[in-house]
Amino acid sequence: MAATDPVVVPQSLIGQRIPKLDAPDKTSGRTRYIDDIDVPGQLHARILRSTEVHAKIRSIDTSAARALPGVHAVITARDVPWQRPIGVAKDHLPLKTDRVRSLRDEIAAVAADTVEIAEAAVKLIKVDYEPLPILSDPLDALKPDAPLIHPEPRGEDVGPHLKPGAPVAFTGKPDNVAMTFDYAQGDVVAGEAESDVVVEDTFRLHYVTHCCMGVSGVIADFDPKGNLLLYSNTQVPFLHKREFAELLGIDPGRIRIIQPPIGGGFGSKLDIYPFEPIVIFLAQITRRPVKLMFTRTEEFIASPTRQPVLLKLRSGCKQDGTLTFRTAETLHDNGAYTSWGATTPFVMMQTISSLYRVPHCQYHTKAVYTNNPYAGSFRGYGNLQATFAVEAHMDKLADALGMDPLEFRLKNAQDPGEVTPQGMHFKTCGLKQCLSTVAARSDYQRKRRENAARWQDGNPVKRGVGMAAMLHVGGGAKIYPSDGCGTILKIDDFAHVTIITGASEIGQGSETVLSQLVCEELGLTLAAVTVVNNDTDITPWDVGVHASRTTFIAGNSAIGAARQAKAKILASAAAKSGLAAEELDLKGGHVVRKADGERVVELGKFMRSLHFTDKAQLVMTTFYYEPPSKHQDKQFKGDVSAAYAWASQVCEVEVDTDTGIVRLIKVTGAHDVGRVLNRLGIEGQIEGGVVMGQGYALTENLMVEGGITRNPNFRDYKLVTAPEIPEMDISFIETMDGEGPQGAKGVGEAPAICIAAAVANAIYNATGTRIYAAPFTPENVYRALHGAAEPVAWNAA
Amino acid sequence: MAAIERYCAPTSLEEAVELLRVGDVTIVAGGTDVMVQSQIGKLQFKPVLMNIRRIAGMAGIRDEGRTIRIGALTTMTELLDSALVRDRLSILRQACDHFASDQLRNASTLGGNICNASPAGDTLVPLLVLNARVVLVSKPNGSVERRALPLAQFFAGPGRTHRRPGELLTEIELPAPPPGFHGTFFKFGTRPALDIATISIGLGAVREGRVLRDVRVAYGSVAPTPIRGPRTEAALEGRTVDTATIEAALSAAAEEVHPISDVRASDWYRSELIRNTLRRMLNHVHQS
Amino acid sequence: MSIKVEIGFKLNGVACRISVPADLSTLRMLREELGLTGTKYGCGEGECGACTIVVDGVTMNSCLMFAADCDGRDVVTIEGLAASRRGERLREAFVKHGAVQCGFCTPGFVVQATRLLEKHPQASAAEIQRGIEGNLCRCTGYRKIVEAIADAALPDQ
Repeated sequence: MAATDPVVVPQSLIGQRIPKLDAPDKTSGRTRYIDDIDVPGQLHARILRSTEVHAKIRSIDTSAARALPGVHAVITARDVPWQRPIGVAKDHLPLKTDRVRSLRDEIAAVAADTVEIAEAAVKLIKVDYEPLPILSDPLDALKPDAPLIHPEPRGEDVGPHLKPGAPVAFTGKPDNVAMTFDYAQGDVVAGEAESDVVVEDTFRLHYVTHCCMGVSGVIADFDPKGNLLLYSNTQVPFLHKREFAELLGIDPGRIRIIQPPIGGGFGSKLDIYPFEPIVIFLAQITRRPVKLMFTRTEEFIASPTRQPVLLKLRSGCKQDGTLTFRTAETLHDNGAYTSWGATTPFVMMQTISSLYRVPHCQYHTKAVYTNNPYAGSFRGYGNLQATFAVEAHMDKLADALGMDPLEFRLKNAQDPGEVTPQGMHFKTCGLKQCLSTVAARSDYQRKRRENAARWQDGNPVKRGVGMAAMLHVGGGAKIYPSDGCGTILKIDDFAHVTIITGASEIGQGSETVLSQLVCEELGLTLAAVTVVNNDTDITPWDVGVHASRTTFIAGNSAIGAARQAKAKILASAAAKSGLAAEELDLKGGHVVRKADGERVVELGKFMRSLHFTDKAQLVMTTFYYEPPSKHQDKQFKGDVSAAYAWASQVCEVEVDTDTGIVRLIKVTGAHDVGRVLNRLGIEGQIEGGVVMGQGYALTENLMVEGGITRNPNFRDYKLVTAPEIPEMDISFIETMDGEGPQGAKGVGEAPAICIAAAVANAIYNATGTRIYAAPFTPENVYRALHGAAEPVAWNAA
Repeated sequence: MAAIERYCAPTSLEEAVELLRVGDVTIVAGGTDVMVQSQIGKLQFKPVLMNIRRIAGMAGIRDEGRTIRIGALTTMTELLDSALVRDRLSILRQACDHFASDQLRNASTLGGNICNASPAGDTLVPLLVLNARVVLVSKPNGSVERRALPLAQFFAGPGRTHRRPGELLTEIELPAPPPGFHGTFFKFGTRPALDIATISIGLGAVREGRVLRDVRVAYGSVAPTPIRGPRTEAALEGRTVDTATIEAALSAAAEEVHPISDVRASDWYRSELIRNTLRRMLNHVHQS
Repeated sequence: MSIKVEIGFKLNGVACRISVPADLSTLRMLREELGLTGTKYGCGEGECGACTIVVDGVTMNSCLMFAADCDGRDVVTIEGLAASRRGERLREAFVKHGAVQCGFCTPGFVVQATRLLEKHPQASAAEIQRGIEGNLCRCTGYRKIVEAIADAALPDQ
């Protein structure tokens, strides 16, 4: 069975430019996203949303809507007494009962033959509101006379339109505090006492929203036995399977979630939002499949936002440049209901306490209810906000000391092997290399000096450079009971591999990188792989796509399954060939002799020889990878990730002081990614993240006033367009993480995180004016430059 | 959305104005304004929807010596690609280059942009600088009638014009700009195009040495309609463009623009932009 | 319900006759009446370009075009382009350069790019960026899309 020609050992796949497996279909328009899927017999749903920001619901009259021909069901809370609260704090009923707390609140829903009929029926539903005072400024939320958003229910809250015993809300709260977080390391009082320079500022970070190109949608379909099939764009299918089961009071085993290809995620699909349970209720009641797609306006109004934050930071250092302490206090506008935005402190305290070496730190967040839109999780998850403040202070402290800001950062940057006071173990750490690389490649130090010398030169157009760095989890985040991922792998009679993974592809290229890792183990080309990843009935458990974890965790899981398959194949090949298993390898689609690459047998032929014998064997393996990270304790201490990632960016801007327009000219970035796996994919993640950060810093602003979103459309909510992108120079620092798959760490969120911080520092370098609130839109910058900006102030209660 | 009872796509002007005479018609050309506005409820369809895109003779640009005529159905892309517009009406070309996107330029018509009468309408400021007139055709009493109206008198308010219900805007007449006339259009924005103007300024004049003659100034997004700036023009007409003249022009501009605050900008900022932008445009004239 | 209008037009090279409500958009006609789901709904207001199609040789936002206005015209969608030589070149380039992540915006970019390259066969990167200014992407940051279009512009090797 041996051929005698030696194999030309093919190049390793690691670090190559691997085209995305689904790109050809997507480029041809063949890919079917949720809006492109139709289920036979489906009805179309539309939701009636509140027209009041804050009001009691006195009555809802659905009679005219029900009477419209083509309408199959009109439901309100009264029709679904079995509904249970959703969301992180379980304070959110899908269909509102006695009151509405924000403009997106869902009051009723219609299922009809067509979208037009459903729309027309929604317009016929009459709601009688009793307006309540509006709370739209989080600073007012804790005042004694503030309207209570989730008051404890009283007898009169149960109106005649509700069935007795129906849940009114959850247990309610005596005040408007939704969540609080406290963290401490060391002793900040002592730290301040040792400081030679102390700076304190308040920063304001604003509302932005995900703007996935594909709007939200869902299809719910019950079979005759009452099993639910949900076509959902969720990023956490297994968590949602369990939550929907609780919500519906049915056995989780009877829920199947299929994830169609998604038109963007970025963290927007990590929570359950009312529209999904509502559509499930409609499907239950009509006994028909029901499909709902948002309009773009609805997407703007009803989707979660990034967490807006008011952040007061006090930082200190010694004369020699050593950081001493940071004290941070934040006010989070929690909106009307609690979603993941309220938990961004988990990440923010990491940055406040551990971005650069800080011995003493105190952190406090209050998240308060208002009648504003609620925030969810969004790429970076609080880190953009925290880094904005930390990196402003790094520049300010350095300037106060007369020290070069790069040197100041390098002096306080951690080294590999350090364990932070919070308990994070930086087994690999490329922070210093990132900082030095971007500074050198952008000519940062010289440009910063020269730009500052030009502040008074009379030219209205100025240039500036600004630097920032970031720290984020890079090896998962153990915040759920498990942070693991399962893989089932099979190799067929033709050496074609099927990877069945729990990890979801949300456009970030996970399918491609998993295939790449498996093919590297098994010596196959990418043409030999199929990935199955979108059906909870088929795939093993994975916690979900978040925390930049998929390459790391799912990658290690896939490698584990591939190595088991390889071991099985080589053991059988050893038995047949008389060589020891350790002397064999898999390369170029063959079993080969490890020493010289000599072919032993073509893999497909070998698979058939294993299969079609008396003692038939198929190669099917499984592996569940749980990263060696720890849950944090009640003080938020613990090594929560199996690896950590760093990046640094220098942003060069041009500021026109006559108009306030800030152009992002160039971004020089360096990312500690452990190891580059798919070079094409990782570049795409970085470039996309940079431009998302650019939007956050310069162009995007969801204007919420009095609880009303003023610009729920692309005309007035400005995403970055192609002519506006900066020049980009991106370097990769490969620190070869021991735990990471082929040494890689996570990178999905990193590139968005420090752009705003670096741009703020660059605007200061250009103009001498420091701006403490984002975004740096032309009017905001112009006002700051001409002393006409409202100062960012916070008189803490 | 109101239901449409009749759809027609006339191929002759006579047919179209006869349909308008009967009445109750929503006119659509490229559709880029009508479709959006009907979906957000800003526009209610009348019982008849008339697509005028197939009417013969309503597109194209003609040079008649003393007058240049542009058919109302001429698209922004056609204006951008036209050598005549590039050579003789460059201020209009500049506006078209800052208009929306390629996809929208391919569908949007000059007549549509005018009838939509947005105070921020990109082509409207250059057309005011060029002393444009609109030609309106109707058939009120059995025979086709035409009237021409200076564009400045055509706008009635934001989104409103003095077009009578039975009239169709068929073409735009422009007196050929005098020899030596040069115009500049500036639209404020962070993008080259896909932006509703926060403010826009059109400046045109004949340069005789350092002196400006036949000065025309127009402003967008600082009044209920796009406007000419007669005070600014008076401050510049026949004067040498020096520091004193520029300051006088800026004062005059401040008096005649009345911006509002909206989701795009505050009134204060718009005023600042007008001042700083006009100063920059005039300094450019001063220095070159 | 609005009156229906009978129209006849060429769709991806094949003659098509259909009856559509007068107020229906071309986008909805393509997706819902004709089953061509490659053209996407992104915003419905002409700002994102996901609905871009070619009509009589120029690109348009199909969400803003009345379906009835297709009468007598030559309409090409991503499905028709994907099979053409230019479409193939663009697909190869988009795949090779990593210009696709979630892919939702991709058909709109490919359609717009065909028109851009026809009009400006030697488009520079800056001209390409202007040429696609009406197409939004949230995933890629545009760099690789521009590189892919520039690559597809090169003469065949």
